[in-house]
Amino acid sequence: MDIIANYGWYLLISGCIFGFFMAWGIGANDVANAMGTSVGARALTLAQAIIVACIFEFAGAYLAGGEVTSTIRKGIIDPSLLADTPELLVFGMLAALLAAGSWLLIASYNGWPVSTTHSIVGAIVGFAAVGISVDAVSWSKVTSIVSSWVVSPLMAGTISFMIFRSVHYLILDTDDPFNNAKKYVPGYMFLVGFVLAGVTLLKGLKHIGLDLSFFEAIQYSILIGLGIAFIGSRFLKKINNTKVERGDIVFDGVERVFAILMVFTACAMAFAHGSNDVANAVGPLAAIVSVVQSGGEIAAKSVMPWWILLVGGIGIISGLAMLGYKVIETIGRNITELTPSRGFAAELAAATTVVLASGTGLPISTTHTLVGAVLGVGIARGLSAIDLSVVGRIIVSWIVTLPVGAGLSILFFFTLKGIFS
Amino acid sequence: MDRITDLIKKSPFVPIQKHMEVSLRSTDELLNFFESATQSKWEEAQTTRRKIVDLEHKADELKAEARSLVPKSIFLSVPREDVLELVKIADEIPNIVKNISGLMIGRHMEIPTVLIPNFIKFARECAEVCRIASNATNQIDELFQFAFGRNAAEEMQKLLTELDLMEDRCDETEIILRSELFKIEKDHPPVDVMFLYSVINKVGELADTAETVGHRISLIASK
Repeated sequence: MDIIANYGWYLLISGCIFGFFMAWGIGANDVANAMGTSVGARALTLAQAIIVACIFEFAGAYLAGGEVTSTIRKGIIDPSLLADTPELLVFGMLAALLAAGSWLLIASYNGWPVSTTHSIVGAIVGFAAVGISVDAVSWSKVTSIVSSWVVSPLMAGTISFMIFRSVHYLILDTDDPFNNAKKYVPGYMFLVGFVLAGVTLLKGLKHIGLDLSFFEAIQYSILIGLGIAFIGSRFLKKINNTKVERGDIVFDGVERVFAILMVFTACAMAFAHGSNDVANAVGPLAAIVSVVQSGGEIAAKSVMPWWILLVGGIGIISGLAMLGYKVIETIGRNITELTPSRGFAAELAAATTVVLASGTGLPISTTHTLVGAVLGVGIARGLSAIDLSVVGRIIVSWIVTLPVGAGLSILFFFTLKGIFS
Repeated sequence: MDRITDLIKKSPFVPIQKHMEVSLRSTDELLNFFESATQSKWEEAQTTRRKIVDLEHKADELKAEARSLVPKSIFLSVPREDVLELVKIADEIPNIVKNISGLMIGRHMEIPTVLIPNFIKFARECAEVCRIASNATNQIDELFQFAFGRNAAEEMQKLLTELDLMEDRCDETEIILRSELFKIEKDHPPVDVMFLYSVINKVGELADTAETVGHRISLIASK
């Protein structure tokens, strides 16, 4: 208890700094995968992508990021075991942030594909199992998280496959693709609005004083979906069936209709990413804050202070603004095969999967989900060539990240414990 | 860092399309070559021949590029074997053009005056088959854009009907040309005649190959 009383503020401030930099790293590196597809498909310019990312990453983090944050904060570890030694939880969470942060730094320096989610989960499980006790880890929760890492790319792939097949059936393979695109695209826009609003309203908004019942939430989601579809169809009216050059690609009318749709799915993608990945940075921070603020009590029921999500949101945005835009630019320049009719299907599927996971409180990797979604479009014959060796490398990094994240966090945990005792 | 970009690879059909354009340019040069050769302007023919050789090298590079884009680790939306087979067949066109021009220039082969009109007609028709095959190659874009729909496949089918029709006309002209040569073959040195038959064969082969290219593409389109 003394440690918390004496050093509480130091620990809190270092937690904020580490959490902020973790979020900064996510903004610098991870957002690029979510937004790069839209820039690559020439649906958004770089500047537009950054504005969309800033607004919707933040909104996602703030409005729908609560569930995953709470999993990271108190779902993986059983805090009741730590009631007598709350400082261990604080050290552990600091160690987890440091471990995940430094591993991500090493990995991105070497060009290895590493997921922030996997790093932080590995790190938390590591310090808890070795530093505290094997029983401190809620293994059933860990099992469900790990299985969600397998399920989420599969689910996104299945959804994107179905979306793209439906596009093929309703629009592309018809006698008048252009007019059918105008006719059916608002339907996909409705889906975007409905899914996002649905998950957010059902799960997220209690902290801003909006507590809705299930049916109310569904009703409002339908209304929001319809509103989005209406706004979208206003934009579609302006599009005529001529070819237009955008960058180095020539777009016909059909693809330009999908490009409008892709603006919406890009927003959804940024929202989904914010709602899930920001928790990697602020979840541990939230755990530290709740211990320190309660003066050393581990109150599993205590409400998370919502300014913590702000720290994460601001961290992501500043990372994006300082470094992330360069990565998006590189990605955007390199994809020319992913046209809006393909990109939207991948984004909508990935965003849906990620937002659903966020609503359930499962921390998953946005990038891996998007990879699954792109594969789904490929299997539906929407893309001419897909490199499966990338998938192999991702699976390897997936397996390596867990023990490395765990090992590093154990190291940092005992170091911190040594310094303060 | 592996990113979404690394997952999505360039379509191998881009270099294949470029390859077909190069083939088309080389058959055009072959027409120029015949023009010069039939007028016995061998210096001009030599210049054209050099262009043909250059184009053949260019085609080889594009062939290698296309092949490099389809390693085994790549998931393609069309069977890999079909793509490799298409590259292989398409690459024969510039090779045949080079062979024909080489054969003729080496022997300063004179085409008997009576044969010239039909010979040029035959060559033009064969070049036309190549042009349609190249159009079909370009049509692959459409096929991908509409994700192998019924409509895109029908468009492709139309081009192929045109291709077959043109190839038939080539065959007919070839028969006429051969019978003309048959009538006068006794009046010319036998070795020259042998080689002349061989050139006619090879020009016909050009059209055949282009037709096979078209059929490979239709096979890819229908899958």
